[in-house]
Amino acid sequence: VSRLVEYLLRRLGFYALAAWVAITLNFLIPRLMPGDPAQIMFARFKGEMNPVAIAALRETFGLTDAPMWMQYLSYLEHLFRGDMGISVSYFPEPVVNVIATGLSWSIFLAGTALIISFLLGTALGALAAWRRGGLLDSVAPPLLSLLGAFPYFWMAMLALFLFGFGLGWFPLWHAYPEGTSPGLNLPFLAGALYHAALPAATIVIASLGGWMLAMRNTMVGVLGSDYITYARARGLSPRRVLIRYAARNALLPNITGFGMAFGFVLGGALLTEIIFSYPGQGYLLIQAVRAQDYPLMQGLFLTITLAVLGANWLVDIVTLMLDPRTRR
Amino acid sequence: MRRAVHAGSTVALFLLLCLPGCRRNEPEFRPGVLTVAQEQQSSWVRNFHPFLPMGVARWPTSAGIYEPLMIFNRINGEYVPWLATGYSWSGGADRVTFTIRDGVRWSDGTPFSAEDVVFTFDLLKKKPALDTGGIWKFLESVQLDGQGRVVMRFQRPYSPGLMTLAHLPIVPARVWREIEDPVTFSNPNPVATGPFTEVRHFGNQVWEIGRNPHYWQKGQPKVEALRFPAFPTNEQVTLALIHGEVDWAGSFIPAIDRIFVGRDPEHHGYWFPLVAGSIYLYPSQRVPAFRDVRVRKALSLAIDREMVIRVALYNYTKPAEPAGLSDGYAKWRHPGFGPGDGWVHYDPKAAEKLLDEAGLKRQGEGGMRSGPDGNPLELEISVIAGWSDWVRACQVMARTLRAVGIDAKVKAYDFTGWFQKVQRGEFDLTMGWTDDGPTPYHVFRGIMATETVLPFGEASYANWHRFGNDEADKLLHRFERTVDGNEQREIAWRLQEIFLAEAPAIPIFLNPSWGQYNTKRFVGWPTAGNPYARLSPNHPPETLLVMTGLKPAPATEAVRDNQ
Repeated sequence: VSRLVEYLLRRLGFYALAAWVAITLNFLIPRLMPGDPAQIMFARFKGEMNPVAIAALRETFGLTDAPMWMQYLSYLEHLFRGDMGISVSYFPEPVVNVIATGLSWSIFLAGTALIISFLLGTALGALAAWRRGGLLDSVAPPLLSLLGAFPYFWMAMLALFLFGFGLGWFPLWHAYPEGTSPGLNLPFLAGALYHAALPAATIVIASLGGWMLAMRNTMVGVLGSDYITYARARGLSPRRVLIRYAARNALLPNITGFGMAFGFVLGGALLTEIIFSYPGQGYLLIQAVRAQDYPLMQGLFLTITLAVLGANWLVDIVTLMLDPRTRR
Repeated sequence: MRRAVHAGSTVALFLLLCLPGCRRNEPEFRPGVLTVAQEQQSSWVRNFHPFLPMGVARWPTSAGIYEPLMIFNRINGEYVPWLATGYSWSGGADRVTFTIRDGVRWSDGTPFSAEDVVFTFDLLKKKPALDTGGIWKFLESVQLDGQGRVVMRFQRPYSPGLMTLAHLPIVPARVWREIEDPVTFSNPNPVATGPFTEVRHFGNQVWEIGRNPHYWQKGQPKVEALRFPAFPTNEQVTLALIHGEVDWAGSFIPAIDRIFVGRDPEHHGYWFPLVAGSIYLYPSQRVPAFRDVRVRKALSLAIDREMVIRVALYNYTKPAEPAGLSDGYAKWRHPGFGPGDGWVHYDPKAAEKLLDEAGLKRQGEGGMRSGPDGNPLELEISVIAGWSDWVRACQVMARTLRAVGIDAKVKAYDFTGWFQKVQRGEFDLTMGWTDDGPTPYHVFRGIMATETVLPFGEASYANWHRFGNDEADKLLHRFERTVDGNEQREIAWRLQEIFLAEAPAIPIFLNPSWGQYNTKRFVGWPTAGNPYARLSPNHPPETLLVMTGLKPAPATEAVRDNQ
């Protein structure tokens, strides 16, 4: 057990180091960009501003000419207090509040879609490999690859026009019905599910093929191993062989992939959010880049980076449980 | 088996939740609520700060919640008295006096007075970060004269400053005096004089603002509340318009007669008056060949504007006038110039002749031309990626330029990248807009005043192409010092003559002011037949004229006309 704890702590130490590097890069990159971010910021304040006004605004945004190390220290200090500065495009709202308007919705929509897609794809992949050459194995992979190969933008638009606009089965926009108030009440929760159904379905359809093929291919390899033959020879039930012996091992690469994919959930499913007018991180990120809103960009990148690291740490733990070899 | 039952019940539950919604998703409406789509956002941030630029604070803040002293109406070129009942100049153009309206109340019921006006202007002086329009660059002082009037003294005579002063939103002194930091105050519950002041609901997807119980215009507004659903791009707004969910919008819609009006010809309408200014092709003085006026004129003569408008702009507009002034400046146009005068028309033969004279020789029969120094001349037309009408317009222009031997290629940049390059003058040719104002002063100042010429590499708000003319400078200074309409008009004529002689920028077409409406729930929209203001919601404070001009549609379905 102590070795287990030591291993986990070592990984945690590694992630802490990675987080520090990410935080520092996040500080440096905007400052290393060519041109004066302040100048670009004020260009959007149409009109010929007074130099006095510009100086006053620089101060408000915390743009100082202090030495780099001092700026770095105050950046770290602010970060620990959860203060990521003031957004330029949503002035004077703090970055933290701006991110909060979409974060939970991004996690909900993209997270749900990812989990469904992962579970369904992995299960289908395992079954397809188990009955290799069967109906599922010969129809599903090419069909799903075909769907996945459509430009996502086009497919989502088509779904919106067909099922939202044409048939009127699903809402055309937004994440919950207008009359409901967010909270633990049935109309809101049911409405939120209903609103998420179509966008989530498009993400699942687009990504299912990837999970399924990856699982199927690993599974085919695993099923050819000697220990599976041995397990079968010992007369274990096919179901037990499939789940406990084959799938458990074949799952490992997909779990790693899941950790990576989960990190990107916080980046938001950009196109989904735009097409379905769904609140979330993706659109904020685009907005921040367009407006050269450095504080907001930094805040978003930091959220994404930390989420990727966090998800990978969780994946480490899951891998540890599935694969005893990693414990050594 | 147990598991299968369990899965079945989950599906049943989901269907149960979904079924009540599985009818046609018709938009639901409450009477008196007007839905507007102007800002493009995916979620709303509650901000009603009146002095921040458009797009940062919510759209109705500067005109709708707060109100200015006067509103310049671009359609008829006149000031509409609002919180001020009138203004007068004295001492030439170095002092303007506003008479403040009586009987106006703030939305909390307390009386509005001239002191609030003085306080507002002083606030901007004290907090320069709020003075984004730069009014204290020319203002000297703002004082009460003891008779309910506000006197504004200038540092130097500057008549073009009137609009900036008239359009400043006025805030209540009693409230804003108490605010610790007015710069970073997001003003979540505004106290204001405008027609809409009571925030009824604010969610990240939809927010709503109700009418001011103490509004000074009796019986106004006839609209009970404004409602704002968040739509991230033009496509979603278009969809919402077609679906009948949005009553008022200002988007670009391709083939609008078929796509939008055709869906419900009885209620859907649009009006694109050509008053918003002209769109120009700017030749940067960075390119040596463009320092020759003959080359600039030849570029203009080589462009087939009719084709640009047909191919790229769905015939929504018309070719530019000889001196580039849009219909919004109709009364300022030089009476001696008619269509076909000068060089703002299509004449490729004349273009070739001018290019030959300028020494831009073709490299072989039918080849591309070289620069005056003999080196190959390869030009790039910079345009904003995603502005599809502009990109297509540039492609058409590149094709017609190549026909006269100018080797021009279109390159699209992301908005910020483009804006940065263009403001620094680091481009060959680019499509762009001009500065706007009640008179042509700002237009010509941004096109040919020496004082707006910054070095290449330094970001400039206007005069991206870096062209200056001494006589234009003198004329613009004379313009600043006079408030006499006739003298201003004569100066504007002379400026147009210089523009025609020098061809500093190449006008292409008049920029339409986009506006769409739906008469199902509200009537009284400005149209070509009832042109009391611009329909477009994109030009506050003119939007106040529309907000107070609308009324609910009669309950019957038999409303045919929009009156």
